[in-house]
Amino acid sequence: MANVALRRQGVRAPSLAARRWKQAAVVIVGWAAFFALWEFASSVLFNPYRLPGPVAVFEAMESIVTSGDAVKHFKASLGKIFLGFGFGVALGVPIGFLMGTTRYWKAFFHDPVLVAGSIPGITYAVLALVVFGIGIEGPIVAVALISMPYIALNVSAGLEGIDSSLIMMSRAFGRGRKDVLRHVLIPTITPFVFAGVRLSFALAWKVEALTEVFGSSDGIGFMIRRSYQLFSVVDVLAWTGLFVIFMLLLERVLVRLERHLFRWRPQEATA
Amino acid sequence: MSTGAAARIEPGARPRRDTGLPRRLLDAVLSNTGARITSYLVFVLGWQILGGLYERVPGPVEVVQFLADEIGRGGVWDAFQVTLERFFAGVAIAFVAGVVIGLLMGMWPLARALLKDTTMVGLAIPAIIWALLTALWFGFSWKAPVLTVALTATPFVAINVTQGVQGTPRDLIRMSKAFGVSTHRRVRELVLPFIMDYVFTGLRFGIILGWNGVLLSEWFASTEGVGWRTRYWYDANNFDGFVAWIFLFVAFIVVFDRLVLSPIQRRVFRWRTTVAMR
Repeated sequence: MANVALRRQGVRAPSLAARRWKQAAVVIVGWAAFFALWEFASSVLFNPYRLPGPVAVFEAMESIVTSGDAVKHFKASLGKIFLGFGFGVALGVPIGFLMGTTRYWKAFFHDPVLVAGSIPGITYAVLALVVFGIGIEGPIVAVALISMPYIALNVSAGLEGIDSSLIMMSRAFGRGRKDVLRHVLIPTITPFVFAGVRLSFALAWKVEALTEVFGSSDGIGFMIRRSYQLFSVVDVLAWTGLFVIFMLLLERVLVRLERHLFRWRPQEATA
Repeated sequence: MSTGAAARIEPGARPRRDTGLPRRLLDAVLSNTGARITSYLVFVLGWQILGGLYERVPGPVEVVQFLADEIGRGGVWDAFQVTLERFFAGVAIAFVAGVVIGLLMGMWPLARALLKDTTMVGLAIPAIIWALLTALWFGFSWKAPVLTVALTATPFVAINVTQGVQGTPRDLIRMSKAFGVSTHRRVRELVLPFIMDYVFTGLRFGIILGWNGVLLSEWFASTEGVGWRTRYWYDANNFDGFVAWIFLFVAFIVVFDRLVLSPIQRRVFRWRTTVAMR
């Protein structure tokens, strides 16, 4: 597309490498502008105590990483997230299966699944605090409840789009229910389960941290809360920075993994 | 022998459908509406059971009773008024900022390269961070909740507007450029109508996440409003009041989404599908 535009203007298309360099340069300029604005806000608009500059925050991040705190608390949070997604899948797949195959259950779960998407995250956090107190159950249940509707909706959509001729053919060739389940249903559903996990990942990760802010004794959310209670803006920002970096990296890993695992499928089905 | 005789009258005919009361009742229960009503009943029953299991969780009856008292005291309306003012001020800021940033990023590759990563970081920052930071910056003032809403919602509006602009039909843009249509007119008459449903999708996301933000901010740094009121009952160890307020703020956003946001989005979407079909 870019080539067409360039040819029209009578300009020779620059080489791929040159364009990549230009792209990278602009991105670097973008980050530089971001940090410059931050530094300006820190030293001119506010003061370094109220809004520490990028250098101070990077130093704080470095000390969090080198002291081993980062690994410890990210591990704690990640463990809760994985367990939460485990329960979310365990609940969401059967519900999605019912919704995708039976009219009654589709009507039954229609409203709860729709409503679940607009419930504010603070609800899960404070209810978990009241029901479970301070512990690991709260964040796990919050992640499970957040991800479950996404997984259920995706599974039910996947089942509705299932190739019925495949099932008919399996029947015609005398395949039993078990074979149909193993070779048709499960391979069809898995990408949709994964898409549900990926779609709800950002939301679940945020609510997990939020639940830890309210009631936990370890994890990123807990550390953010502690920094807040110590009035340490620099530590709040440092933990936020690590949180954001980690989240963006994990999301990228999930997308890559999804592409790799389901590369045998046509592209539009997982989108 | 009358029953046997009745069965023998038309041996070839299929048995008539039983239209007695039990059958009709079963049909009603198994209908779509019946299923939906059943799901609400199951929810209330589950809540009741949860209330019985955990002594700190009040059942639906206690909560409704408390709500009646609280409305009688007049605390509900005042709190919602304060919170809604802050909330909509924040949403308005996010809407304007998000549309401007989104238009810039969508129309100008340089702006996209400059701002994309910052927007991605903004998307990844949870509302609680803004709530805590604004609390540290501004203390107990209206600035904290308004800014929390604005900062939480802006990236969602911006990214959706960007996608909308990038999805606009290239041919039409190129043609309008070839015929010398001014940028101003091109934005107003071509880009804006097309991206409307993207704007609404972004705004809807922003509103739902912003509501969470305003509640969090009021929980940590306010002496009035819905979030503060919820915390007030929590601190007072009054779990009837606490759960009643949670019920109120969840009900508010669910009803607002169902009655206001979804219909608007559906209307905008209907316009787009008709265009696509032509």
